[in-house]
Amino acid sequence: MQNSILNKQAFYNLTPIAIELVDFINDGEDARHFRFRLPSPQSIDKPEPGQFFMLSVPGAGEAPFTFTVTPNDQGVFRALVRKMGEVTTALFQCQPGDILGIRGPFGKGWPVNALANKKILMVAGGCGLAPLAGLIDQLITSHHHKHLALVYGTRNRALQMLNPERLRWQQEISLFDILEDTGSTQASTEENHILEGTPLDAMDSVLRTLDWTPDTLLLCGPEVMMSAAAKNFIQRGLSAQAIWLSIERRMHCAVGLCGHCYLSEHHLAHHYVCKDGPTYRWDHLQPPEKN
Amino acid sequence: MATKIISTICPFCGVGCGLNLRTENGKLISVEPQLDHPVSRGQLCTKGWNSAYGIDAQNRITHPLIRTPQGFRQVSWDEALETIANGLKQILAESGPQATGIISSARATNEDNYAAQKLARAVLKTNNVDHCARICHSPTVAGLSQTLGSGAMTNSAADLLETDLILVFGADPTENHSILGGHIMRAHLEGTKLIVADPRCTRLAKLADSHLQLKLGSNIALLNAMVKTILDNGWQDKKFLDQRCEGLEQLTASVANALEGVEETTGISLPEIESAAKAYSQSKRAMILYGMGITQYVSGTNNVIALSNLALICGQLGRKGTGVNPLRGQNNVQGACDMGCLPNVYPGYQKVDNPEARAKFSQYWKTEVPEHPGLTSMGMTKATLAGEFRGLILFGEDPVVTDPDQNLVKRAFSKLDLLVVAELTMTDTARMADVVLPAASFAEKSGTFTNCERRVQHVQQALPPVGEARTDWQWLAAIAQQLGSDQLDWHDSEAVFREITQITPNYSAMNYTKIDQLQGLQWPCNHETPEGTAILHKDTFPIGKARLIPVHPIDIDERADNEYPLLLTTNRLHFHYGCGSMTRKSPLLERETPAGLLFINPADANDLGVTHRSAVGIRSRRGYVETRAMLTDDLPPGLVCMPYHFREAPSNQLTNTAQDPLTKMPELKACAVSVQPLEPGMSPRPIDEISALKVEGVK
Amino acid sequence: MKSYYLDHPNTLRNHLAKSYQIEPPEADSAKSTPPLISPKGQLFAEHENLFTFDGECFRETLPKPAPFVLFGVQSCDLTAIHYQDQFFANDPYYQARRQQALLIGTDCLNPCQQGFCPSVDAGPGVKKETADMILHQLSATSWLLLVCNKKGLNALEGLLLNPANESEFTDRDNRIASCVEQFNDDSYLQQGITAINQNQVPEELWQQLGIQCLSCSGCTTLCPTCSCYGTWERQDSNGDIRRQRFWDSCLYESFQREASQHNPTEEAGERVKRFWTHKFGDNFAQEFGRYGCVGCGRCEQTCPGVVGVHSVMKRIASDAKLDT
Repeated sequence: MQNSILNKQAFYNLTPIAIELVDFINDGEDARHFRFRLPSPQSIDKPEPGQFFMLSVPGAGEAPFTFTVTPNDQGVFRALVRKMGEVTTALFQCQPGDILGIRGPFGKGWPVNALANKKILMVAGGCGLAPLAGLIDQLITSHHHKHLALVYGTRNRALQMLNPERLRWQQEISLFDILEDTGSTQASTEENHILEGTPLDAMDSVLRTLDWTPDTLLLCGPEVMMSAAAKNFIQRGLSAQAIWLSIERRMHCAVGLCGHCYLSEHHLAHHYVCKDGPTYRWDHLQPPEKN
Repeated sequence: MATKIISTICPFCGVGCGLNLRTENGKLISVEPQLDHPVSRGQLCTKGWNSAYGIDAQNRITHPLIRTPQGFRQVSWDEALETIANGLKQILAESGPQATGIISSARATNEDNYAAQKLARAVLKTNNVDHCARICHSPTVAGLSQTLGSGAMTNSAADLLETDLILVFGADPTENHSILGGHIMRAHLEGTKLIVADPRCTRLAKLADSHLQLKLGSNIALLNAMVKTILDNGWQDKKFLDQRCEGLEQLTASVANALEGVEETTGISLPEIESAAKAYSQSKRAMILYGMGITQYVSGTNNVIALSNLALICGQLGRKGTGVNPLRGQNNVQGACDMGCLPNVYPGYQKVDNPEARAKFSQYWKTEVPEHPGLTSMGMTKATLAGEFRGLILFGEDPVVTDPDQNLVKRAFSKLDLLVVAELTMTDTARMADVVLPAASFAEKSGTFTNCERRVQHVQQALPPVGEARTDWQWLAAIAQQLGSDQLDWHDSEAVFREITQITPNYSAMNYTKIDQLQGLQWPCNHETPEGTAILHKDTFPIGKARLIPVHPIDIDERADNEYPLLLTTNRLHFHYGCGSMTRKSPLLERETPAGLLFINPADANDLGVTHRSAVGIRSRRGYVETRAMLTDDLPPGLVCMPYHFREAPSNQLTNTAQDPLTKMPELKACAVSVQPLEPGMSPRPIDEISALKVEGVK
Repeated sequence: MKSYYLDHPNTLRNHLAKSYQIEPPEADSAKSTPPLISPKGQLFAEHENLFTFDGECFRETLPKPAPFVLFGVQSCDLTAIHYQDQFFANDPYYQARRQQALLIGTDCLNPCQQGFCPSVDAGPGVKKETADMILHQLSATSWLLLVCNKKGLNALEGLLLNPANESEFTDRDNRIASCVEQFNDDSYLQQGITAINQNQVPEELWQQLGIQCLSCSGCTTLCPTCSCYGTWERQDSNGDIRRQRFWDSCLYESFQREASQHNPTEEAGERVKRFWTHKFGDNFAQEFGRYGCVGCGRCEQTCPGVVGVHSVMKRIASDAKLDT
């Protein structure tokens, strides 16, 4: 990709490609859905669902984000960003036309092959919906799976993201909004599929409503939520090999060099989420069985 | 690849660790510890490891600047010096020398500090010279000079590994003085007993054999109770008292009622007090280490005296592994005091109001030096507001951030007719100056630092000064020249040091060569002890016999009440230093802590509706600050704590200026505040923003 | 391996100085203790400019060092370089420096104070795949120079040396074996490594060690295998933005802290545990062919909190004994 003086081997690319900020729409509290344009559609390899890229905001730094829509034939792609820290604060001060940088795609995406004919339940919390968005669209288009439902938990209505996308998905899949604080929303359990509490609080009700039993669980959101959900479903009889999650970590290089994204599970102490993840199967995260 | 390795001393705290600077083609590429350094032995703390970032060329002041209505204008040294000299001349002519003064830097070298007080005394003819020891260990100097005759650490750092008991009183030596904190941890692991007296559960408190979690400001009550317990049980060192102390009778009488109500006052149970008293008195060797938790009170001097009383009645002085050991905070605060950058003493603590001393200096400097003791830094602030003080030269300090009652300091600095500030970077104080001068960093100059154990060490130049920066004694000399004086005409740092040794008895047998050969010299270093002195007061005290002086508990100035129901104390963090102007340039240190925090007990937080990391506003009678709350069990309910390193959330908006009457030490360790959560979703606003709103009339 | 007699390392040094920069710059004859500072920074630079951005374009900025020699490097540090060669195999910055480096190793014939290289298969003799040449002292006036590869042989061109007897190889091996014998008993190290790998060190002990850790970063700075880094952006005088990487330390609390403030390793004990699991993990060894630790002992020397390798392993071993 990048020219480098030592062209002899496949060096990691630590230097971004310039991209243009096309535009953005506000989507949720302190969140924006951005459109960026690559120099050409072939500027980067085609990303798999669940892979991520590193966005450079010159002067502020670089941080990992997921593709909500992968590059089209104009080289335009989309990413959902919540304003959290230095890089995102600087990004929110950018205007259409500004030049930023991209490196990627990185990491192991969702196990699309393993989803063939599966009855998939996705549980997303907060910003965790973004890494699943691309997969949902792909599954809806490909009909690769058997069933698909999404449980999306946030603290309140204002924090919900990907509102246009969810409206669209609602036509095709079962979609449950779980709000810790329903506020003044008219909560209705049957039609609007709006439930109060956390995703786990609502799970019994969700499963009752679905007329199929999930055999595959995909999780993305705060670690506490993902961990609790996985354990919950294992108790319900789901195999640990049928549960996948996407782990988030601080990242600086995305190629397994800088060390920040390590997993602290004892048997994985040398793993880096950027390379070996961010998608993990639940059983791989558990300590190996003692002989 | 011309790599050079220069041996020097770390610029941060009073431990004075050996530091090697590796340069390549005139640029600093890394710092390294020194394996054979007598104190640090191949170790550094996080600040030391990050020192290269602190002096980095980015955002350094590189040229003299003069204030104009449109902002700072870069000028030549000549123009800057002329402006300064003209300003001083005018003030001297109109209002006399007492309207001028110098605040020197406990971070600058001995040579720089000596030059500062000489400029003040021999050229400006004023004793208005002071530095940050005022708000740090001035009670130590005042207290211990009364009781022992000398205000410095009595023993050496190495003694920590050769003692039976360490009592850490009001200090947190794994945050600052971390290498000494490490020695303490090592000693403890090897069997040395550790007692920590602190209202907060510090790291050492967690490891200690006993944590005396006393109520804020109850130091004397606890110490007097310990003294009484020791005397009642006959645990005192009778021989030592007999031979080397006076005042036992009065002391014994004064602590007669020290146990009454002490549990209520201190929050420590009688059995705990007895246990600590027994351990300390019965240990063959016991060391006291203390810090701001003793000094930064209106009773600061008395707190020090109470501590000294305890050590004296137990005979824990004058031997290896014993002593009363103030942890001098800055890399050269000991030196700045030794050099006489204090309004009441000349170099070597010779008293300004002593006619003999005055005659000596007048003779040596060939000019009449001023007669009366001068103003302290707090005094200069006050006198400025009263219109009596008009011209101030200040270097290597940021009183706007680090002095109590920030708003008062700002008003005073605004009012000055001439404020000259020499600095590395544009600190809040520099921003208020009329003339800003570019200062050379520790790596860009040669000189000496005196660490907390009185060790004078050589600082060697490794880099060229950035831009037009000058060593402090050099621009001080240039001002003297501009004023028509040759008093500061030295050829190099070594020449300054030579003059220091001629006039300062404790330094009289020192020279750079010997300092290099012996890896520093601990004063006194004179013809009797030409290789320095590791342990003070071995056979006799400078005042002959030590004095036991009765002291009684004095309450903190501002108690919590309905309006301000919490007590605020201040602390240091391991990762930052002082106003943060150097440490916050490191990406690692700046990342480590958020820019401002308030430590609060979870129960208090809960009552207020404050959650972990939520934004809060803190108000005191002096001011208002916004920051983030860190919930921790390390604090008891009723006590909140702020570090002072962050200029956006300066704890000194809130702190109290009530002073120790003798030393004018402000009570930085205790004041009353109220804490409120901010509206959900609101981020804490930096003080500049809050102040601007205030100016516009918005609350 | 070709081998020659050498009267003194300075002869080799002076010869190489004609075409290379020599690091360290001052000749330090026959020091058989590793210096406090390893040569790590010569290849994995403490500060490295990665690329610049001029407002339109991002441009990689690779270092272009002149050819240089790392002279007289002990086996521990050479083993560490050999590991970093693998870890940074695809890092263009490391490789740009590495390919300019000539490695001259020195066999250690006496144990150093803190070292335990034999316990982790990292010395005291230099392995030939980790250096271009090896110096081995025979006597006060005579050295053996072993040439490990073609690169080393080419560097000797122009220097006339007498070939050494074959018997010297055996003698060398014997001397190295005899040095190994002199190392202190390392059973607490082995016990510690086992306990760590079986995840049998109690959480309370890690927490206790965590209290003592100051996050000073001394261990990670001096450790010759540590490779973690952070990045930041700086502005050049011409307005260009430059991204730079700098050595980082996983012992800092903020090392894994995310913008959301979520921190998977908020507790110091967790970070300390992970550090040692990384240095002595069998899983790590599977991937890289050896432990992350090369037994140089520098962490012990520089740690103010008394949680360097010897202190930690002794605590783990004695804690395990108490349980049995």
